[in-house]
Order: sequence, then structure tokens, then C-alpha cells
Amino acid sequence: MAQAVIFPKLGQTMEEGAIVKWLKKEGDSVAKGDILFEIETDKANLEVESFFEGVLLKIYVREGVTVPVNTVVGYVGSAGEKVPPQPPPPESAPAQPPAQLPAAATPAAQAPAPTSAAALTQPQPKVAPAQQMPKPVTAPAVAALPAVPVPAARLVISPRAKALSRACSIDPSRIKGSGANGRIVEQDVRSYLDASGYNTLRIAPAAKRLASQNSIDILTVRGSGDGGRIMTEDIKRAIRRKPVALTRMRQVIARRLVESKQTIPHFYVTVKVDITDLMGYRTNIKAQGINYSVNDFVLESVILSLQEFPTVNSVTDGINVSWHGDVDLGMAVSVENGLVVPVIRAAQTLTMAEMKAQTKVLAEKARTGKLTPDEMVGSSFTVSNMGMLNVDQFTAIINPGEAGILAVSSARQTPAVINGEIKIRTLMAITLSADHRIVDGATGAAFVNAIKDKLEDLNLWKSLIA
Amino acid sequence: MYDYDVIVIGAGPGGYPAAIRAAQLGKKTAIIEKEAFGGTCLNWGCIPTKTLIASAERYHHAKTSKDFGVTSNGVSFDYSRMIGRKAEIVKKLSSGVRMLLKSNGVEIFEGMARFESAERISVSQPDGSRRWLSAASIIIAAGSDSAMPGFLPKSSRVLESRAFLDLTELPKNLLVLGGGVIGCEFACMAAALGSKVTVVEMLEDIVMILDADVRRVLRKRMEEMGVKLLTGAPLTDIAADKNKVTGRFKDQTLSGDVLLVAVGRKPNTATLDLDRAGIKTDTRGTIPVDNQGRTNIPSVFAIGDLVSGSIQLAHAATQQGIAAAEAASGLRSKVEPICPSCIFTSPEIGLAGLSEAHAAAKRIQIKTALFPFSALGKAMAAGETDGFVKWIADHETGQLLGAQAVGCHATELIAEAALAIRNELTIDEVAHTIHSHPTMSEAWMEAAHAFHGNCIHLPKRAAR
Repeated sequence: MAQAVIFPKLGQTMEEGAIVKWLKKEGDSVAKGDILFEIETDKANLEVESFFEGVLLKIYVREGVTVPVNTVVGYVGSAGEKVPPQPPPPESAPAQPPAQLPAAATPAAQAPAPTSAAALTQPQPKVAPAQQMPKPVTAPAVAALPAVPVPAARLVISPRAKALSRACSIDPSRIKGSGANGRIVEQDVRSYLDASGYNTLRIAPAAKRLASQNSIDILTVRGSGDGGRIMTEDIKRAIRRKPVALTRMRQVIARRLVESKQTIPHFYVTVKVDITDLMGYRTNIKAQGINYSVNDFVLESVILSLQEFPTVNSVTDGINVSWHGDVDLGMAVSVENGLVVPVIRAAQTLTMAEMKAQTKVLAEKARTGKLTPDEMVGSSFTVSNMGMLNVDQFTAIINPGEAGILAVSSARQTPAVINGEIKIRTLMAITLSADHRIVDGATGAAFVNAIKDKLEDLNLWKSLIA
Repeated sequence: MYDYDVIVIGAGPGGYPAAIRAAQLGKKTAIIEKEAFGGTCLNWGCIPTKTLIASAERYHHAKTSKDFGVTSNGVSFDYSRMIGRKAEIVKKLSSGVRMLLKSNGVEIFEGMARFESAERISVSQPDGSRRWLSAASIIIAAGSDSAMPGFLPKSSRVLESRAFLDLTELPKNLLVLGGGVIGCEFACMAAALGSKVTVVEMLEDIVMILDADVRRVLRKRMEEMGVKLLTGAPLTDIAADKNKVTGRFKDQTLSGDVLLVAVGRKPNTATLDLDRAGIKTDTRGTIPVDNQGRTNIPSVFAIGDLVSGSIQLAHAATQQGIAAAEAASGLRSKVEPICPSCIFTSPEIGLAGLSEAHAAAKRIQIKTALFPFSALGKAMAAGETDGFVKWIADHETGQLLGAQAVGCHATELIAEAALAIRNELTIDEVAHTIHSHPTMSEAWMEAAHAFHGNCIHLPKRAAR
């Protein structure tokens, strides 16, 4: 019997996702463990393996279409087996997981999560699965995905007129129709071609074909060839001008940052930390084979300071405030075309060496795209370090759900006044962005100075590292 | 005030058209030439080799026309007369260049040019005197010379192509170092005149700029002519004595009367004192320029062989020279990206635009279409059925991106391909263009039909 391939739930908070790429076509034979498709979630791209052996009989969900988790996306069975032309409604609790994650997956991936039950019991849409959106807030973003074109207002046009405008690669919606109900007829297209100057355009044949294959309105293109002749280069430029849907990761980043800036009243406090001595200490212990980065010292100082300032490790909605308890420290890691924030859980319980080891693993996973969604949710405070990017100072935007974020800038040799004398010291600016609804200026100032004091206190590090 | 609006350094195939174009545009123009008007192309390159190749072909045809019903006995050749004919043609063309420059009002200076500053040049004249010239714009067109690597012995038997063209006797045993375009052209010419030729090329095959299918045709024909092609290892232990040159390829010992060195060309930039004008060069001594030929100094242009990444062909230099002269005159001009190459081997080869290898490197999805001369009436009539033409087109749009032709008249045939590629035609425009019958050029149309599998003159299964 044919087995349904189901869009897996890969994290506790995951409710929907899109298949970015099918690695098998309908009719391909599939072995157990073969990768069937790649999915894109709010957090990452992941590969999904087949649980079954046989032939991929049917694909229901095309690439780029966002669907709720547990949607039936296809069938695997024996060759020639009949499968329904429409996907069945998703089961509310799959008896067995039909697809499995590679080894990196967390156990949570296979457990049916109650949070998605509402989405699962809805009837399956007949037209396109993407129209069923469990979370309305994401609907506009998803509509921009390439596979879900925005339906244009219906154009009343004769078949001949349509064919002519397609052959000329022009946009017929700009033509005024002279027929009944404004219907565009062939003569209207011809008049438009005359009036718009189309007939005097010079277009390289390859450019014209490229334009028509990509639905580029040739009248919007300026030619760069001999005497203004339109060349393929000009069409390629026009193609690049077309709007392209942001990746889901960027859409999520956009949504969360706008939400943060619109709902959280940010204020900023900057101090410069003198890390001259710390750098010297770091070099010394390095010679003994103990290797800590400046980032490790910053993270540890933040973890310690957050315990002294519970307000900064809290969250508010403007009515209630709740303390996070644990220091679940998020660290912003820049990845190709985006940003991820893996979380060091209960960081206050870790030794400095353990914290450093976790940081390293998480950063590596982030860079290689191996983070699971669950490793990227639930931070209580975030550090964004641009130290290696040669910046004097910057401010960061608070992750919703947190009360602050610390922006760490590059260490610089700077003239500094020490005991009335000018000395060259290594200074590093750190800037706290804080939610003013719960963190007041005085608290913010005390918090950044607590971090500064720790970074400048060599005895502290000797006690933590030795 | 400057002495001139434009000064051109070098009167080769890049420099003299640049000077003429500048003069046509009303610029007061001077040109400085250190040696011979017409440059390498006209004096020691394209033209002299082609006159010798023409002689070699006549001889070869005279000897091998029995199948055509033409017999001739006692065919022989006089190499010194061939060289004499070459010298006459070169002389005529070179004086023609001078005449063209003069008739356009370009002032001519003979001597070595050096930069004093970005606007000022000194000329060391043949009589030992010097003079100084200044100009608002300067176009560097000083060309290149054959590279002679230091490991080669200094001997009258070890020659680069220029010295080879002055030999009055053809070597009976010729060793050629370098299986690129120049090495293979000379090898074919000498082999057609009966020399025993051995070509040694370090790379895996000869003329690596060509696609493998084209190289196969060339290799086969050269080997049929008796040329020994040794590829994939260097020529080592090169030594020359009074009577011969010897070398080692892998475990073979090679010996010849003369070693022709054709391992590339080096830019003539070292003697120009470019530093004094602040003109940047890269590590190989070539000059980086923008798409109008402008160097890092906005009033100084560079064109031809000494430009970084240049294709090192006379006709490329000509177009660059014209573009630079126009840019120096304030016109919007640009260096053309599509430049056909012609290789005068037996058989001839022409190529334009992207090769299959280039397309693969650029990750462009292509589709190729080929038509063999063996299926073409005119080729059969002429007894020239080796080779083919090939289109390289964009997989999606059918845009013609490149073409290669190998066979009789391939160097003429490539002109049509260059026109089509430069003007962004698709395979369909070529397919729909009526080509005269019976001609070799029909092959382009047939190949275009083959693109869609609609070839009339190939058996159905053979079309690809």
C-alpha cells in the first residue's frame, strides 16, 4: 500500500514550512534513507529522508509553497499503484512518523505537538495548500513567495490580442481596450505598439526571446547596444529588477525586527571597556595552552551580570513582567544572507570552560547550517558581537521576548587618560539596548558598568580559569 | 598647451588605426615607432606567415592533385624565393601604412619612446638625438615580443618566430617548443614543405583554447602530415651545438636542425618608464585597463598585446585602438567583447565567443549543434571533407554564444559566426537565413537546423 509522505514537524514551535527543493521526481525510485526533499523553516533549511522504499508516486506540494506541518506532500509505493489525485486531509496524530530527520534532529522532531492540533483538524483546501494559513500574521509574507503568484485583476482580452502582446513581449494590462466592456482586441495592441514607440525599437533577437521567456515588458527596458538597440544584457538587468521573495529566514527576521521596534521602547547606554590587561592575560594563558577568545570573556561577564540584574533578564508585555530565571544566552551569528541566534541554555550553571565549548559547537553548527530549530528559540538575553567586523560602535535591536541586547564592537588602540597621563590603551565599546518599560536608565548604566568592571578585573578571570 | 592632442606609441595594427581614427576626429596626432611600421603583425607575424603558408599550400596542392586528375612531375620549391616574395609583400604593406598615416595628417616620429610624465614623452631617435613631445592623451600600443625563457641555450639554432621568418633555408628537421597557435601554424607550414617536424607541448594537448572535438581534427591532420605531436610533458635538457639542437621529452631524445620557440609573448612595457607617469602594471608587466582602454591615469590609454588579459590578436588591437582614440576624443566608445580568432594551421580553425569549456566554467547551460563538412557538397567537390562547424548556444533562448569551425576556409567562415554572436542572434535567425549553395558557409545553416534536430542533409539518427 502506498505510504503518505508527510511534511515533518521539526521543532516544538514549528507550525509551517516550505519545501525548497524536491530531490526526487515523480516516478523516481526511493530507498529508505534517501533524501526526498529539502525544507525551509523559520530558522533553517533541513533535509528530509524517506522512511519507505518504493517509487515516489505523487508530489502534491510544489517547491516554494508553504504548508502546515503534517500535510501529506506525496506518496511512496510500488510502481503503478493508484493514489488519490488530491492530497488527503492531514492526520491529526500520525500513527508513525512517515519521514525522519537526519541524525542531527532532536527527539522533539518526531513527537506530535499539541500546539499544532488546531491547524491539523482544519479541512484540507481543495485549491492550493498555501491558502490555508494557520497564522494570519505570516500570510502576506508567504503570498510573496514565487510559487504563489498574486492573481492579477482579470484582463479582458481577445486571444489574438493576447498572442500578439506575448509575441512582442509587452504587458497588455497597460493597453486600453476598445471592444465591449473594454475588451482588448488585436487592433488595440497594434495601435499601442505604434503609439508607444515599440515599432521603432531595435531589439536583438536573443534579447527579445529572453524577454518573452521571462515576461519582461520590453517597453520598460532601455537599450544599451548600438543606437539604443536592446541587448540581452538590458533584459537581464530588467529581470534582476523584478521583485524576488525574501527567504523565509529573512521574512522572519523582518517580521521580528519590525515587531521589536514597534512595540519595545529602546534606549541605549554605551561604555568603553579597557581590555588592555585582559588581552595581555589572554596572551599569557594562551602560551600555557589555554585558549579563550575576547567573546568568551564578554559572554561570561554578561552571564554573571545578568544574575546580578534580574530585571535585565526578564520580559514584559507592558502589563506583566516575568523573570526568566535561567540565563538562556543567545549569541547572534551571522550566516550567509541572514542571522541566527543559537542559545546557550542555563548558562549560569556552566563553568567557563563548558560555556566556551558549547559556544564553539553552536557557532560551528550555525555556520554549517546544522542548527536545529529548537536550538534557536527561547533565549532570555542576546549578545551581538561585531568585534571582528571593524566597527567603532553600534546598537542592536532587542529580540522580542527579551529585555535587552548587548552590542560588542571592535577593540581599538586608543589614547586614554590614566592617572592624569595619556596612555595608549585597548578600548572596546559595548552598547546595551534595553526595554525602557522595565529597565530604567540607572539600571542600564549599572548593568553595562557591571560588565565593564568584570572585563577589567583580572583577579576574577584568574579565579574562574585557573 | 600640449604639442599634440593625441600621441600614439607604436605603429602596429593597434597603434596606426588609433592614430588615423584620432586624426579623422580632428585631433592633432603624432605616432612614434621604434622599428617597422605595421608592427609584429605586418612584419613578423600574421602577414609574412600567411605568405609562406600560401606558398606551402601551392606546393602541397601541386604535389597532391592526382585524385583531381591533375598530374605534375618534378614539383619542387625554392624557399629563398618564398622568403623573397614575403619580403616584397611586407615592404609594400609597410609603406602603405606610412602613406595612410601621412595622408591623414598624422606626424611620424621614429625612435624609442619613454614617459617623462603622464603628459610628456621623450623619443630617442635613430641618429642619437632626443626630442620631447607632450600630449593631452597618450595611447600605448607598444605590443609584445616572443618570450625566450632563460633556460634556453643562446644559439643561432634556437629561434623565436621572428628570426625564423628570416631563415633563407627551411630546416629539414624542425623542433618546435610550444604547441599553441604559433607553434602549430609554423609546424604545419614546415611540414607541408616536407620538413620533419616535432612539436613538444607541456600541457595535455595542443592549442588548449579549442574544444576537444576541434583539437582532435587538427591533431589527426597534423599527424597525417607527419608532424610528431608530443604533449603532456616539458622539453628538458635542451642543448645546442654547431650542427644540431637536442632535448629530452620524457625518455625520448629529440634532435633537430633548429628549435623554434613559441611559448608565448611578453609585453613591451619594460622600456617605457611607465612608473614615471604613474601607470600601474600587474605582475606580468601588462597594463590593466577599463572597457575603453583607459589605464589608471585617465589621459593614458593602453591597447593590444600589452593589456592585461588581452587576446593578443591584431584585429583585437585594431578595435581597441579605435575605441581608445574615440574615447580620447570624448566619444562614448567601448572595447568589443566578442573577438574572433583565426588559426592558420592545416586545416584552418576559426573560433568566436564562448567555447564549451568556457561555458561550463561560467555555469552557462548550453546546447551545441554541429555539421560535418563530410556531408557538404561543396566540401566534397573541393576534396576538403575534414572538419566541421559548431554552434554553442544558450540552452533556453537559443542565443548564439560561441562558434568553432575547423576545416578548409574556417578562418573566413568564422566571420559570419562573429557577426551573429556579437549582434545576439539566436540559432533560428541563422536557420532561416538562406545560405548560397554550393558553399562551405551552408554548414552554419545546416548546423542551426541540427540544433532542433531538423537537419535536411544528415541521416536522421546522426543528428544530435
